[in-house]
Amino acid sequence: MQQKEFFTSRWGLILSTLGIAVGTGNIWRFSRIVAQNGGGSFLIPWVIFLLIWSVPLIIAEFAIGKSTRLSPIGAIAKTAGKKYAWMGAFVAFVSTAIMFYYSVVAGWCIRYFVSSFSGDLFNTTNHLNYWKDFSESGLPIVYHLIAMAIGGFVIYKGVVKGIEKANRFLVSSLLLILIILLIRAVTLPNAIEGIKYLFTPKLEYILDYKVWLNALTQNAWDTGAGWGLIMTYAIYMKKKEDIALNAALIGFGNNSVSLIAGITIFSTVFALSSTDAMMQISQSGPANTGLTFVYLPLLFSKMSDSTLVNTIFASLFFLALSFAALTSLFSMIELATKTIIDFGLSRKKGILIVASTGFVLGIPSAVNMQFFINQDWVWGVGLILSGAFIAFALIKYGVDKFRTDIINGFGSDIKIGRWYNLVIKILVPIQVIILLLWWLISSTSWDPEWWNPFHTENLGTCLAQWFIVLTSFILLNKTFVNSVLKKEN
Amino acid sequence: MWTILTAVFVIGIVWGGVIIFLKKAITFEKNKKEEIE
Repeated sequence: MQQKEFFTSRWGLILSTLGIAVGTGNIWRFSRIVAQNGGGSFLIPWVIFLLIWSVPLIIAEFAIGKSTRLSPIGAIAKTAGKKYAWMGAFVAFVSTAIMFYYSVVAGWCIRYFVSSFSGDLFNTTNHLNYWKDFSESGLPIVYHLIAMAIGGFVIYKGVVKGIEKANRFLVSSLLLILIILLIRAVTLPNAIEGIKYLFTPKLEYILDYKVWLNALTQNAWDTGAGWGLIMTYAIYMKKKEDIALNAALIGFGNNSVSLIAGITIFSTVFALSSTDAMMQISQSGPANTGLTFVYLPLLFSKMSDSTLVNTIFASLFFLALSFAALTSLFSMIELATKTIIDFGLSRKKGILIVASTGFVLGIPSAVNMQFFINQDWVWGVGLILSGAFIAFALIKYGVDKFRTDIINGFGSDIKIGRWYNLVIKILVPIQVIILLLWWLISSTSWDPEWWNPFHTENLGTCLAQWFIVLTSFILLNKTFVNSVLKKEN
Repeated sequence: MWTILTAVFVIGIVWGGVIIFLKKAITFEKNKKEEIE
């Protein structure tokens, strides 16, 4: 299938890909994990894993997408071999399963933007009840529908008029809003205490292996590396477009946004509430809802004596959060749509199927927090497996050949050295094994019935759901190859 | 002391990385444009 539409420029590609990487996790999850893992002690391994996990995998995704011009099923089959199409299907499935509940999260953000902009958010002093009333009503379904409709519309408009145009506006606006919020936060009285906490290392934390594992997990979950999403956008990059430099910009740019959000949140929290600040940040509810939807509205209400000023800053914060969520959601919808297109359906039909299925299958997460937590747990950890499959594809192809022929091939502005072979062949697999074992074994300690697949967050539910999906895809491998690769031929 | 060193290390690598790679990207784009012209 000849690729017809491409990102118009490097900047369009970078802003769109940055839109994938920068999500709600940069804003709320990062601050919570930093608080739980000793501030500055966490940031040191976090920077190291940016270099040995995120950037190498982003490079891999860019290169696979650009060279194969196929969605994950065909892309992995073409790179690793036809026997492994099921791995690509798993990568595509995990991101699609995340899309179902991520649209709900995007809906929450939109709702809170509407509430803060209308002033409704500050009509109450009990923000916990406000959140409960909202999350237990039918409104999350309505906002989930709105998020999915916006996403579906953008993807329907195509790569240039939809994805690129929307991301150029949304990502630029998001960066601008975050900088405005950063300036406001660091100029609050006592903000320096928050910044000090963020950057002060503590030896006992640096020596704690859990801090290192959390730093790796944060990089794995918030850069978008290994999700198959960057691979999908890379399908639309021009042949003359560079891989390594763009990938590095995405990785470093994503972590820069996390740092801006972290400084903003820590400065605000320490400036406005010194007594229970750390407890509030670190003991956040499911999906970090406690920090974002309960504690931050409270902080914004105390930002100044002027309700107008508080409303403006709260609105800007939730607008930024909505933009971050939507730009990531676009890529998930695009991945699912492109996968359907590769099976021979038209773009229009693909979007219709993805948007309607996405809405229906997202409803359980919108109405039931336990279901939401279960899906977040199962497919969040599943992403580590996705990253492993992408690294496996490169190893099967031959990392050195892949590096010289594709990454350093036509269009490359900078060349990647032999260090890349070592990272993909040794460091990434080691990180995958350690992360998977740690998360799965840890889960046995927080649930005595760790084997029970019907519990919300344990080893049993993870393995059971993975088993069903992986077995089905392995059995369907031949069908995938026949449908996707033959259509392409 | 350690706070400043950590801040310099983290901000230096993360934001420094963005500045360096962004500068390189701008230069490459400029050169490509000049070549075309």
